[in-house]
Amino acid sequence: MTMNLFNQFLSPTFLGLPLIAIALMAPCLLYPSPAPWWQSNRWTTLQNWFIGSFIKQILSPINTKGHSWALLLATLMVFLITLNTLGLLPYTFTPTTQLSLNMAFAVPLWLATVIMGFRNSPTHALGHLLPEGTPTPLVPILIIIESISLLIRPLALGARLTANLTAGHLLIQLVSSAAFSLLLSQTTAASLAVGLLLLLTILEIAVAMIQAYVFVLLLSLYLQENV
Amino acid sequence: MPQLNPAPWFLILVFSWLIFLALMPPKILTHQFPHEPSTLTAHKPKANSWTWAWQ
Repeated sequence: MTMNLFNQFLSPTFLGLPLIAIALMAPCLLYPSPAPWWQSNRWTTLQNWFIGSFIKQILSPINTKGHSWALLLATLMVFLITLNTLGLLPYTFTPTTQLSLNMAFAVPLWLATVIMGFRNSPTHALGHLLPEGTPTPLVPILIIIESISLLIRPLALGARLTANLTAGHLLIQLVSSAAFSLLLSQTTAASLAVGLLLLLTILEIAVAMIQAYVFVLLLSLYLQENV
Repeated sequence: MPQLNPAPWFLILVFSWLIFLALMPPKILTHQFPHEPSTLTAHKPKANSWTWAWQ
């Protein structure tokens, strides 16, 4: 029974070809590039506004040195939010439910911020491992604890996104299969399940967008610490 | 959990970074943001007091 439910997360292949590549292409295909003329159409204007306001908002606490990350953070945000929200359509595959993909983004980007921090100002970067005003006897333990919390960041970043999306999709599948199986025998229970499904879908749309935002926000915070 | 199957991990890493590095940035870069004047760059015109000629 449990294996059946998790089968939706199996990376789809067709005749040996990984279909995840097509799913990953979706963000590139859905956003037409803006044309060189001065006044763009509604869709382009909307994209433009989104990217502009997102970058303004996320780079405001970061000093000028970190602004070179603007393109990377904007691309990551658009990529993740598109993949997450598209996955809520029925019968689509969400690449961000794959732990491999989320770790593939989390680990290198986190490592980049850490390496940047250690290269530019190693003392300052190491200073993050000891909060100000710690009593002397607690210093060794706290350094160990802070180092562990530093090392667990990429795991948390990747696992957070994976778990949130997987759990959401799983719930949707469970509730919808319950509603479907109850449809003929107990119609009232089925209609309650459909109501729950509607609320769940609304929640999942919010979660999809929020989780993408949280991923990029946390990366920007790690950048802010190290720049 | 099928996500924990390590078989497609490297392929997924390669594909996702390929698309993330090669295909997405050009799309984002083509968006232009014409200069919006911010309060820092705007300078207030110096108000010259105007004295009446007959004083």
